[in-house]
Amino acid sequence: MDNTVIDAHNISKIYNQGTFPVYAVNNVHLHLERGEFTALVGPSGSGKTTLLNLIGGLDKPNQGSIIINGQDITKLSANELIDFRLHNIGFVFQSFNLVPVLTARENVEFIMQLQNKKKDEMQTRVMQLFKQIGLEDKMNNRPSQLSGGQQQRVAVARALASKPQFVLADEPTANLDSLSASNLLDIMAKLNAEENMTFIFSTHDQRVIERARRVITLVDGKITNDSAPTKTTMEIQSATLVK
Amino acid sequence: MILSMAWRNIWRNKLRSLIIILSISIGLFAGIAVAALYHGMIKSRVHLVINSEVGHIQLHDTDFKKNYEAKYILQEHDELVKTISQLSQVKTMIPRSITTGMLSSVTGSAGVQINGIHPYLEYTGSSLSKKLVEGRLFDTIKHNEILIGRKLANKFKLKPGSKTVLTFTDSSGTIVSGAFRIAGIYQTENAPMDERNVYVPIWDLNTLLVIGNAFHEIAVILKNDNDVEIVQKILQKKYPQLKVESWQEISPETDLMVNTVNQYTLIIMVIIMMALSFGIINTMLMAVLERTREIGMMLALGTSRIKIFFLILFETIFLTLAGTPIGILIGWLVSNYFNNHGLDFSRMGSEMMNSFGFSTMIYPEFPQDKLPMILLIVITTSVLSSLLPAIKALKLQPVEALSR
Repeated sequence: MDNTVIDAHNISKIYNQGTFPVYAVNNVHLHLERGEFTALVGPSGSGKTTLLNLIGGLDKPNQGSIIINGQDITKLSANELIDFRLHNIGFVFQSFNLVPVLTARENVEFIMQLQNKKKDEMQTRVMQLFKQIGLEDKMNNRPSQLSGGQQQRVAVARALASKPQFVLADEPTANLDSLSASNLLDIMAKLNAEENMTFIFSTHDQRVIERARRVITLVDGKITNDSAPTKTTMEIQSATLVK
Repeated sequence: MILSMAWRNIWRNKLRSLIIILSISIGLFAGIAVAALYHGMIKSRVHLVINSEVGHIQLHDTDFKKNYEAKYILQEHDELVKTISQLSQVKTMIPRSITTGMLSSVTGSAGVQINGIHPYLEYTGSSLSKKLVEGRLFDTIKHNEILIGRKLANKFKLKPGSKTVLTFTDSSGTIVSGAFRIAGIYQTENAPMDERNVYVPIWDLNTLLVIGNAFHEIAVILKNDNDVEIVQKILQKKYPQLKVESWQEISPETDLMVNTVNQYTLIIMVIIMMALSFGIINTMLMAVLERTREIGMMLALGTSRIKIFFLILFETIFLTLAGTPIGILIGWLVSNYFNNHGLDFSRMGSEMMNSFGFSTMIYPEFPQDKLPMILLIVITTSVLSSLLPAIKALKLQPVEALSR
């Protein structure tokens, strides 16, 4: 059985600043398998968010192909990409981005309603997810009534609600305190283990990097290192981040 | 959930939404108030035309109205009266002898329409007796009495007891004259009609016209305004040799006025809603601008553009519809209040109002029949107002929107 989730070949994203082309992502090859828990690290401006946007179908590369679930998403139209994202990709954003007028439960249900899931199926899934993120008692609270950490846990539940191929998280712990960040990572790791869900997240956070089973380092839009976070690689990451 | 989100979204900025809801309410109230005033004016004008001037339906010999010649009497009038009185829709009928001629007094002369009336039938069927402002109604014992309008009386400085001479041609074409003493002076809300019409007892006029107990016109008053068309059809079918006309045909200027006012009401409502639409568009554009990031997030998560479009559309419709019942309610309350108490326009110049055939006391009436049209205009306005903000939202790209 093919466990490939993402297969990106030779992808580049070029922005033109005046007459000079700037490579936000430069000729990147990326292969991710089901169940991976991967951190994308690198200094600011290294192209982490751009790479996540490309593999998340939020942006299109200037060259290369991105095969997800056997489909080259670079060839899809804008409307096809919306539908593709709905059924295949879960997103967790840095600043939570929950819909403020919906309760925590409704935020999670929203995605499943877009997928036209049956009411029974939705209820079971919502209960399961809230149990997994430990917020059963906060289901009917609006985002404004939740802490940052709780909002991000709801965002993770929302990302998983549609049972996507993988979850992309752009600096998920950046706006959280240490305890909330640690709790969030525990939950993500648990969901990774329990649901064999593939997580790929960009981060500057050393604690997140330590929890990853694979660390990809980006510098100036290029992958400079791709390995498990051994002590040596951790030192390389730290040195890169300090730089 | 899109509907629920749209409803909750309009309350995110309560003050801004309340201001626009209030604007819509006031705008609608203003539109309804104007429509109610016009409705009241027109209704009173139509009732005046029906009750004081023409009735709902009139029957004449087909040639009579060409030159108002006395010889064109209604044939077989007894059978005609019997048939009309048997119709269930008919409230009453008023037979009249009519001719045109000259009224002369010591101070001058004027062309008039001379209406020979059965006093009892005319007093009970039309509003003539209620319009008497000086003198008295006809004395059944006395002969050759006349009722003239206030405007004509003022013109020739005539008063009750003054003597006038009516000159006209009889049924054989001979010019005849008769002296008539003024019994009373009437005044309706239609000054031109008061100047043009005089009333004499039918037996006095018929003697001079040499037409016996015949007459030229039957004015039919119906129980219900809406039965005009049906009764007209029945009578026309039964008497194809007669001219059977509805009040709209006899007084086309009134019918034109009704239609014109209906169009004015529509135009005023459209103008009000157009002005309001700029406020709605502005509010919705601000809402979209404030929620750029959120809309970007929804697009990123897989919300289709059509759903985003409907979200903005529903928000605009809810925002507009929230103000609609308030505006209609205020309009209904105010219309009903003034419908009971009346609006006195005499300070604006009763002569001017009367010269156009309107009473100075207007009783505005809530334009219930125009509610579907008002609702249609409101919904059309909200749909059109939502287009620009919705298109702006649809043009957002998730990556750019999320980075704002």
